[in-house]
Amino acid sequence: MKIETKGRFSFSGGAHPAQSKDLTSERQIEPGPAVEQVAIMLSQHTGAVCRPLVREGNMVQAGQKIGDSDAFVSAPVHSPINGKVKEIALRSHAVLGRSPAIIIDAYRYNPTRRSYFKLRDDFDENNYSAEQICDAVRQAGIVGMGGAGFPTRVKIEPNPRLPKETLIINGCECEPYITCDYRIMLEWSNRIIAGVKLARRASGCSKVIIGIEDNKPRAIEAMNTALETLADSDGIKVVPVKTKYPQGGERQLIKAILKKHVPTGGIPPMIGVVVLNVATAAAIAEAVVSDLPLTHRVVTVTGEGTANPGNYYVPIGTSVGELIEFCGGLREEAVRVILGGPMMGVAIADLTTPVTKTTGAITVLTEKQIGRAKFAGRQTPCLRCGRCLEVCPEHLNPTKIAHAVKNNLLDVAESYYMSACMECGCCSYVCPANIELTGYIKTGKTLVARQKQSSL
Amino acid sequence: MGDTRYEDITVSPAPHISRPLWTHRVMIDVIIGLAPAMAAAGYYFRLNALILICTCVISSVATEWLCNLIRKKPNSVGDFSAVVTGIILALSLPPALPIWAAIIGSCFAIAIGKMVFGGLGANIFNPAMVGRAFLTASFGMMMTTWTVPATIDGKMPRIAPENMLNARTQATPLWWSKKAIKDKNGAKIYNEQLFESTFTGEVGGCLGETSTIALLIGALYLLIRRTINVHIPLAVLVSAFAFAAIFYIIDSDAYMQPLFHLSTGAMLLCAFFIATDPVTAPLTRRGMWIFGAGVGTITMLIRIVGAYPEGVMFSVLLMNAVTPLIDRLCKRVPAGGKPGV
Repeated sequence: MKIETKGRFSFSGGAHPAQSKDLTSERQIEPGPAVEQVAIMLSQHTGAVCRPLVREGNMVQAGQKIGDSDAFVSAPVHSPINGKVKEIALRSHAVLGRSPAIIIDAYRYNPTRRSYFKLRDDFDENNYSAEQICDAVRQAGIVGMGGAGFPTRVKIEPNPRLPKETLIINGCECEPYITCDYRIMLEWSNRIIAGVKLARRASGCSKVIIGIEDNKPRAIEAMNTALETLADSDGIKVVPVKTKYPQGGERQLIKAILKKHVPTGGIPPMIGVVVLNVATAAAIAEAVVSDLPLTHRVVTVTGEGTANPGNYYVPIGTSVGELIEFCGGLREEAVRVILGGPMMGVAIADLTTPVTKTTGAITVLTEKQIGRAKFAGRQTPCLRCGRCLEVCPEHLNPTKIAHAVKNNLLDVAESYYMSACMECGCCSYVCPANIELTGYIKTGKTLVARQKQSSL
Repeated sequence: MGDTRYEDITVSPAPHISRPLWTHRVMIDVIIGLAPAMAAAGYYFRLNALILICTCVISSVATEWLCNLIRKKPNSVGDFSAVVTGIILALSLPPALPIWAAIIGSCFAIAIGKMVFGGLGANIFNPAMVGRAFLTASFGMMMTTWTVPATIDGKMPRIAPENMLNARTQATPLWWSKKAIKDKNGAKIYNEQLFESTFTGEVGGCLGETSTIALLIGALYLLIRRTINVHIPLAVLVSAFAFAAIFYIIDSDAYMQPLFHLSTGAMLLCAFFIATDPVTAPLTRRGMWIFGAGVGTITMLIRIVGAYPEGVMFSVLLMNAVTPLIDRLCKRVPAGGKPGV
């Protein structure tokens, strides 16, 4: 059977930033540095912050749960290494700012494990009940590894009010530079399929679609091959989608595959859909089959500002600086270190910031790649050219929202549906006047949230 | 951590990369798009064209520079928008306009049409059209004196309805159209020869509006480069065509064919280069359709019913005035529908 690798489906809007994925796309997943210290953030997910379960001076083992919360929307955190709790201190978090983290000093003896996880040939997801799977996912602290970090248990658990029909596995990886999901799809395809089957069993979805951008034909082939080797793959389909940023956005992928829009302000379950990232699917398989908690993840260290880019399997909690040093350090021209990719990633100034469950990449850029007009003194006022409207995948009016926020007219910004913005960055990317549209909108959303908080 | 230099690390909001298409490049594209029309103007009106275009561009840029100096604002000449305004103004002027009038027009266009509103992006009206309106109001006679293209000068004008031997000036096709409505002989005037002349540009008229083919080539470039969207030009042309067609069907003796109205006067210049000025046109697609249809309809209304033979300038200015209203009327609906519905 010939595998179709050309994507026909997409959403309206979007942009085509330079892919720049060849820096790392052929680099195999390799073990990361042997860490001496990790900092496990107590909040690595959407939802309630974990409460530490260990105290200063406690011994911890690799895989031991060290933080948890009773809240429904939360996920526990685990120690990736054998070591001793040094302290509970504040560490920089890309989004939350300074937040509490458990600092663990590693023992000298710390075998690297886990990336050698092997799926047994007699794997059958029907050996596990739905409750078992949900429980294992919760205990392993699995959250959406694509970036949002929503606790996976909450997503896949059956909900009588919002029955789930379709499970979409997101292998788009539309963000430039990042290749961690691509490598996972190539190297761990069986694991992903096993995770997909477990998620299907837990959620009760009848239809499963794996969406992959058509610039990754090898990944599409690998997933199809894995589907054939693993028994009982009926109802699971690999669908190539058009290569366009932000194709990997949850709402955009649903639109491309199912031709349905998630209601504005709503969530995918409202139209019976669950979306999981491929890395999350792999983590589910590890957690359910081998009881391995989510303590390591693949991180792409990339960008023209790094000496030795690659894909590394690193303990969560490793500091960004350590990882960059492991890859040969920053090059002379490096001017920006980004947690994530260049479109949605957060630029950080503190390189002790630890890797979290949602950190897919560390991108180091030089001035050349950033290439923003402000360096050349070429910023101008808004031309009202409408390019931002054309590319907005949510069909918003970015320039109106941004200028309303700029003039402190938050109600006007809201009347242009500011809260529907998903901050994909397409508008800022295409703006010929080089206005930080996404930045303004982000600020506006923060200000509105603050207003609501103070009025409570 | 080694000799890594952290002090050079900078932060800013995402996204961290940007498409290397900046404002000045957009403006340069427009200038390239206008180049065929400028070349045609140079071919048909020779030195007049060169002098007028240079005068308008230089005085526009100088005015913008001066305004920035007076307002103590950073110099914005580098975005080339003043150059575009200057060229469009020049192309919409009669070839024999004196230099001093062109200078006054350019100064007015930039100073009153653009800079008093706050410069690029803040103006309500198309600066070039503001300048032209000012000149029309002030020097009506000069603004309606049309030179015969240099290529047919001295010979008998090929396309005048009445013989105007050795005339240095001649009427524009639109003027005949106006006359034809009165004399009820439109069909007799419009023939293949006239169509050919308006297509190549060998007729009287404003500098840049006469040559249909040159304008279309430039427009094609802008469309391919995606500098302009197809919506506004299409709306202008379709609505003008429809309006003219209705009158042509009612009385094909008196009224010119619809195609005549598209290929004469500033219709094409307006549809592709003036109405598409992003600053003064609506943002949303729906708004663009309304705006373009308004421009086309009002232009034809003036041409056929109104007192002037040409109505592009007024229709653009009128629709510019309602652009904020159109924008408010045509809000975009988010992809997932209005929230809470």
